[in-house]
Amino acid sequence: MTSYAIEVKNLRKEFEIKKRNGFFKRNKKKEVFIAVDDISFQVKKGEIFGFLGPNGAGKTTTIKMISTLLRPTSGTAIINGINCVERPMEVLKILGTVLTGERSIYWKLTGRENLEYFAAMNGITGRKAQVKIDYLLTRFNLDKRADETVEKYSTGMKQRVALAKALIADPEILILDEPTSGLDPQSTLNLRELILEIKEEGRTILLTTHYMEEADQLSDRIAIIDHGKIIAMDTPCNLKKGLNKTNIIVLELKDWNSSTEERIKGIPMVENITSRFDDIAQRWEVKIHMVNGNDSINDLITNIISTNNKIINFRVEEPTLEDVFISLTGKSLRE
Amino acid sequence: MELRNYLIAIKAIIKKDAKIFFRYPANAVFRIVEPILWITPVYFLSKAFQINGENIGFSQYSGTTDYMAFLVIGSIVSSFVSAVMWGMGFSLKNEMDVGVIESNWLTPIPLWVQLIGRSIFSLIMTTVNALTVAFLVWLMFGFNIAGGILMAIVTLLPMLIALYGLGFGIASLVLITNNANNIIDITNFCLSMMSGESFPITVLPRVLIPISLALPITYGYDAIRGILLNTKTLLPIPVEQGILVLFMIIGIFVGYRILKWVEKYCRTKGNIAFH
Repeated sequence: MTSYAIEVKNLRKEFEIKKRNGFFKRNKKKEVFIAVDDISFQVKKGEIFGFLGPNGAGKTTTIKMISTLLRPTSGTAIINGINCVERPMEVLKILGTVLTGERSIYWKLTGRENLEYFAAMNGITGRKAQVKIDYLLTRFNLDKRADETVEKYSTGMKQRVALAKALIADPEILILDEPTSGLDPQSTLNLRELILEIKEEGRTILLTTHYMEEADQLSDRIAIIDHGKIIAMDTPCNLKKGLNKTNIIVLELKDWNSSTEERIKGIPMVENITSRFDDIAQRWEVKIHMVNGNDSINDLITNIISTNNKIINFRVEEPTLEDVFISLTGKSLRE
Repeated sequence: MELRNYLIAIKAIIKKDAKIFFRYPANAVFRIVEPILWITPVYFLSKAFQINGENIGFSQYSGTTDYMAFLVIGSIVSSFVSAVMWGMGFSLKNEMDVGVIESNWLTPIPLWVQLIGRSIFSLIMTTVNALTVAFLVWLMFGFNIAGGILMAIVTLLPMLIALYGLGFGIASLVLITNNANNIIDITNFCLSMMSGESFPITVLPRVLIPISLALPITYGYDAIRGILLNTKTLLPIPVEQGILVLFMIIGIFVGYRILKWVEKYCRTKGNIAFH
């Protein structure tokens, strides 16, 4: 008996891209887009494994291959010892999946009717189904509006119905694709608490997200994925520890331009620079990764002041997973 | 155990489709009114061709002077043909548009079972609808049938089962092209044109008759009319029934194989992911 709930080995997915010239002509030369590039990882039973990466990194494609919706170009995905391609129906019996987007349930049915339908699709009917549905509706705080059609629910409620739907057959493994995407902050917090509760029941959870704080808060281990490749994999703590010689310096500036950026890049020890303009505060937030940065802070400040730039604020931060991502790829998760 | 789960799933799909259908009440009313709207002008047109209340010219081809009964039977059989195709093809497209197709594919119920489930509610509604329309048309215009309703149903059944094969094929096309309306409309139109839904196929130009004779549905219309109206049939009725049984076996086998192939194709290409 394997100790891994999910074992992915050299998984690869290529998509053919058809390009068009004008209205009718199709480019004869077919291009191949590699969405997932030879990735391998294992998820231990009972852990939350986070898949962190920007949009388009290959997270959803990986999830779809594991949940049998997509056939891999090569490689294998094994769920509890069962091959996803060879025995998909058996895999689906032990897997609960919530895909991204709120339209994965029937809006013209009530929350209760949705759960009744998906329970029956998993072979659960009668008294057993009713008990399970009542339990899930209460647990997910949907019981008071269980008999209203889903179209009248908020986005957070719809997501909770989708999660309850995935749990209806009591799956050992739960796959959640961007579960908090599009939710308001309070709904996000509530859903994250629910996910942790589900983990406490002993279920294995594979979670994708592009929110680094979500991956950090929920995951026992994280794989960081970019351009279809896993570029780092460890516990959140160890990933951040890997940056312990790097100082994260955040400057709030009145102005920021490419020439200033080039100038700062010229300072020894500067590894990465990311910047964003805060529309509300009307200022630039510039994050600078520096190795042994304490020695070069003077250089940094002097260089910025020499460009007649105004420093509004200055702080040194603890590394986050976003910093790990920046350090590995040279870009922000939001890019 | 699997069979039990499949039956539970089919029942759940029927129940779900019924609930959604009746949450749009205009649907139910429109389904009764629409066929009558189609039939009414044709009735008056045929009346204009009558001599002493009989369609003499029509009877030369069909063996009956009762064009209304001929038309109503064709319309009822045709509604069953449409029910299978729309039940499978359109419902699949609808699930793509609504966004629940992946949720359904993530259940441990094979696609072919899901498609059968979806078409059954459509067939139930068609049966209720066909009986209501036939009754209303009988009240409004009047027509006679010779009897043999049970035999007509026995003849219709293998044709319907065979159409499930065609339905699987339509569903496959919908999956590949991500288009339902055009595919179903064109298929439906060609089938009703070529198989004699509202006219005896002997009126078709010679060049088209071989195509018509190659369509097993043609024998379905012909045999059912032969049983209910004593019309002249193309072949003896038992032979036509045999053709339908053969069509049923081949249709289901071929349709199922095509669907399995297309399902694999879509899972490879990622088609369902992009709807």
